[in-house]
Amino acid sequence: MRTIKTWWLVAAFVSGFGLAMWAEDLALRWRNNLLEFSAPHMHFLTGKQLERLHNGAQVPFDLKVSLYSGTKDHLCCQLAERFLVSYSVWEEQFRVIKTQSPRQVVDHLDAADAEAWCLKQMPLAPSGIGETEKFWARVEVRVPPLDGKTSNPFGRESISESGINLTGLIDLFSRPPAATQFHTMSEAGPWTLEEIKRGSRRGS
Amino acid sequence: MNKLLLAAILCSVPLAGCDVKDDEKALQELNVNAKYTVESVQVSGQKNWRISEALRKEVDKMVGSKLDYPALDRLADRIKKELHVPAVSVNIGKGTVPDNVVVNFEVPKSHEQPAELHVAKFLYDSKLGWSGEGDASTTIKSNKFTFGLVSDSDAMLERFSGIKAKFERRHVGTDRVHLRFEFDSYHEQWNQATLLASDQPGIYRSMQVFTPEATLVIAAPLELDFGTSFSRFRPEQPGAKIESSNAVVSTLRYHQRWGSKNDIDEQELNASYSMRAGIRAFETDNDFTRQMAQARYRFRRDHNSVEIGFLAGEINGNAPLFEKFVAGNASVLRGWNKFDLDPLGGSHIVHGSIDYAYHWLQVFYDTGAIWDVAQEREQKQSVGAGFKENGFQVAVAFPIRSGRIEPIFYAGLNF
Repeated sequence: MRTIKTWWLVAAFVSGFGLAMWAEDLALRWRNNLLEFSAPHMHFLTGKQLERLHNGAQVPFDLKVSLYSGTKDHLCCQLAERFLVSYSVWEEQFRVIKTQSPRQVVDHLDAADAEAWCLKQMPLAPSGIGETEKFWARVEVRVPPLDGKTSNPFGRESISESGINLTGLIDLFSRPPAATQFHTMSEAGPWTLEEIKRGSRRGS
Repeated sequence: MNKLLLAAILCSVPLAGCDVKDDEKALQELNVNAKYTVESVQVSGQKNWRISEALRKEVDKMVGSKLDYPALDRLADRIKKELHVPAVSVNIGKGTVPDNVVVNFEVPKSHEQPAELHVAKFLYDSKLGWSGEGDASTTIKSNKFTFGLVSDSDAMLERFSGIKAKFERRHVGTDRVHLRFEFDSYHEQWNQATLLASDQPGIYRSMQVFTPEATLVIAAPLELDFGTSFSRFRPEQPGAKIESSNAVVSTLRYHQRWGSKNDIDEQELNASYSMRAGIRAFETDNDFTRQMAQARYRFRRDHNSVEIGFLAGEINGNAPLFEKFVAGNASVLRGWNKFDLDPLGGSHIVHGSIDYAYHWLQVFYDTGAIWDVAQEREQKQSVGAGFKENGFQVAVAFPIRSGRIEPIFYAGLNF
């Protein structure tokens, strides 16, 4: 009997592990007739943003989740949200505020939990996607560029003008990010709703 | 209780009728660090700077209050503008007791500052044409290197165009002594009125100036510059030998400011007395002494500001044309043409001006005289009006005299 060489086993394990890691880059879960996003390997509380947070500043993060059905170019539905993040220099934990209605605030989170909480606040209804239709998902995160003035994390308008709205945020994401602006993106698929629902039932 | 307060803030966010200050208040409290008390504030980084007393008071006011990050951001912006540095960062750290924080405004060290571009002057004068001066500088370990280009028809009798190169060190053993070496090389263009009045002697077509100089900070903000100036110029006449004008130079300078842009009242005083003496010991072709005193005082209350200026100067001996006083340009006797007043420049000058501005609207009055011999002394006056905002200025000025009056139009930056 032919024996399997050890290095084949190692290669299979490494590629399988790598694939699994990649597959987990962006995950979807079916809950309450909505798709919940999670991206455990996509980090935005890092680098200069984290440095600013550790220095006591409050940093706004704009997040957008999108679904593409049929082909990767056909945008089906999307949702954008702005989160205000600050880091307590004494407690060494994050506070995150979801700025659009319903506004929510959460305290005492570590970086990974703060990132996960933001995505959890953005469940998306897959309207227009059939049960067996292929679709792709994308998550984008941007930090509005500092313009040298006191930045209003609610946007250029006064808070009294109902803060930055969904249209404003979508408009922000429709422009390419500035060279100095932090941005990161993760996309995955294709899936079908049937697969996601089945997977969510197994997981729960 | 804190949760209730936060909930109230969050609910109040969409309320109509809030102004920008309300916005900032709300934003401040959304930051988790807003609950902490500021224990101390410091400004750190470079050694060779000093923020104004008014700004220091503003910074110190933060101590004892709750952390207000937007206010700290604004202060960082003011420090950046006052120190002319590219950035000032705000760092918050734990204080010595729980729930207290220390604030540090960090100014990047001078050797960390990138290259800077600076427009020193940009002017259009309807009689004299364009003038401009710009430079690029970089700082490497307390050594500042500047290279500039200039073409100016306003400051002196002639249009001088050329290059400037400067090396500065702002710490020589002590912060109280600064050292600089400047080399300038110009090509000159003369107005017909000057050429006719001079009949050639004294007219030169190119000039090189080397100025090694030191500054001694006697008691801030009182400073003394002292050094020498070696000038070589090539006369216009063909075959004429290159001449030298070498002088000992010194300037006593005082600059003080009370209040700041953000206060209701703000005052600023700039005063200086300078002396240049061409002495035989330096093998100069021109034996002269030139003395000049000038002062400018500015007072602002809300949107009203008044600025009073004074200038007096005297030259004894045989000074080259570039040392002569000039009136009838964009700063002295505005509205007059310098070639009508004295096409060869004067050896005596007295000048006073008063400028009043409301918001960006500006009116001014100039009076003065320029002369060589006492019999020529005649008081001249001019008035003008215009707009001034953030260094940019547009103005029209009229000489007060009988007969035909031709206004002069000025526009530009930092003149």
